Amino acid sequence: MTAGRHPEPGVLERFLLGRLSPPEMRETARHLLAGCPRCQEITAGLWEPADLFEDPLALASAEVSTEDAAYDAVLDRVFERVAAVESQLAAQRAAGRRLHEELMQCPAERRHLLLANCQRFRNRMLCERLIEASYEACFEDPRRAVEAAELAVAVVGRLEAEDCGGAEALAGLRARAWAYLGNAFRTNFDLQNSETAFATAESLLSESQISLAEKAKVLSLLASWRKVQRRFAEAAQIFDRVAAIYKRLGQWDLLGRTFLQKALVCGEAGDGEGEMKLLRRALDLIDPQSDPRTFLAARHNLINALYESGRAREAFALLYHTRPLYLQMGDRMSLLRLRWLEGLVAFGLQRTDQAEAAFREVREAFLELDLGYEAALASLDLAGVYVVQGRGADVSRVAEETLQIFQSYNTHREAIAALLVFSAAARLDQAGLDLVREVSSFLKRARNNPDLRFSAPS
Amino acid sequence: MSTVDHPQVESSLEGLLKQVRPRLKTVFTRYRIPPQDTEDILQQALMALVYRKESIRDPEAWLVGTVRNKCLLYWREHRRKLYETVDAAVLEVVAGPVGPDQERAHLRHDLAQALERLPERCRSLLWMRYRQGYDPPELAERLGYSPSSIGKVTTRCLAALTRHLFASGICRRKTE
Repeated sequence: MTAGRHPEPGVLERFLLGRLSPPEMRETARHLLAGCPRCQEITAGLWEPADLFEDPLALASAEVSTEDAAYDAVLDRVFERVAAVESQLAAQRAAGRRLHEELMQCPAERRHLLLANCQRFRNRMLCERLIEASYEACFEDPRRAVEAAELAVAVVGRLEAEDCGGAEALAGLRARAWAYLGNAFRTNFDLQNSETAFATAESLLSESQISLAEKAKVLSLLASWRKVQRRFAEAAQIFDRVAAIYKRLGQWDLLGRTFLQKALVCGEAGDGEGEMKLLRRALDLIDPQSDPRTFLAARHNLINALYESGRAREAFALLYHTRPLYLQMGDRMSLLRLRWLEGLVAFGLQRTDQAEAAFREVREAFLELDLGYEAALASLDLAGVYVVQGRGADVSRVAEETLQIFQSYNTHREAIAALLVFSAAARLDQAGLDLVREVSSFLKRARNNPDLRFSAPS
Repeated sequence: MSTVDHPQVESSLEGLLKQVRPRLKTVFTRYRIPPQDTEDILQQALMALVYRKESIRDPEAWLVGTVRNKCLLYWREHRRKLYETVDAAVLEVVAGPVGPDQERAHLRHDLAQALERLPERCRSLLWMRYRQGYDPPELAERLGYSPSSIGKVTTRCLAALTRHLFASGICRRKTE
């Protein structure tokens, strides 16, 4: 081929698709570089697709041409194959559920041994079920969440690409299992192990070809972890990537969930207005019928954000309408969160007797559940009520009790230092509401940041 | 409180495929994916759907979105190969024994003109690559990019050059 001899249109098309041999590719490129208008006209027409359709609206307005008949045979073949796979999968799902039940009936210390030695536990659906179980347990029993996620990682470690319908699916499942393990460690406040698990998930994301939906799930957990680490800008950026994926995939409810998570980042970064704006967008997108827990979480956070920004009346009104959702959930943690929020809103409305009753109840319940940190935070809210009521002796007593809770749970030294300052001020009857808030806010931040230092207010 | 109006969701796979068929054909037609390549794209997307069906709220929207995305990736991948080819061809043109000196001079002149029409960032990068023979690590160091990002930046610049060349060529006076 020379600059004067034109390649056939078919050759130009194969050139653009990279289907010519390397010498032919080079020769065609040289011909085009020579500025042949005739061939440029053809290649310009072939060039069009990927640029034109970045905009989904262009696609929506597209009409099916007569050429599309060529696709019918392909669609028929693929549909038939996929239908066969689906019926196999239904059977595998049922098997996965059975294996999960069987595994859970074994003593905890034997489970890993069973997974390592028994071939039939090499099952993708078992792994999926364990991931689900881990996520569910985060709300009820964080330690069980770690156990389930560790089992999921063990199962996925033994799977091969053919067990999952391809290398992409296996890579996605593997990254997800590690991310859920990181998440489970996070809910247990085991920060070091959480970081290790998330680092593994992140490296799997970058090393492997993973579907967008799977990537979004892993990134979403990673962003939450960055929030816990107080790397807010990074967390917000990752959530934006997740939102872009869900928008592209048309998954509006998941987009809503992403807004909810990003709102938490805004809240922690001190952007209350941004937080409320995102929460309202989230509530518009999350379906309360299909995902009541997430919907409730968005409402809960919005009520809390309203209270924090001094709009206790609005918070009260929204809480009134949201109460049935908490009751509908019915689990103990949801009911405790409701009671705690009732106490806060009552405090915001200066109904201190109601607030006191709520905070006392919540504190006792958390102690019963062995959740010392939550109990201590509720205690500080209670101390705030006593400060407002001018009950200095009670403030001092609660301060001592809170200090003891922290010391018995061996919480990090700076948190104890903050409480010592508070306790000393309370003994001298000098603990004001500002100090209570400052210590409470510090404890919330210090929980996930062992390096944070408390500086006593002047 | 308001919630999104979700479209009618088809629960059985058979029903879903029947419903989504025309939309899939529209996507493939409009993206001009050759039928033989359609099979892989569609199969990957549908497999992902059946494996994850329980966690997908609106399977039709998800499937169309995923297929569309895979079509874009398909073209991106082909384009990437094309840029590499153009890159190799230009390197040959500027460095190889392509003909008489005068012809090479014309080629260089036209390449320079083509580069002039590109954004400044691409102009300096490609100029250093084609005229001064810098390889990617050297370009990264010279232009202040990180070694990990120089590949992406170079691809973007090659994309700009390729677009331009396919629209006008680099040496019109030599044609025909």
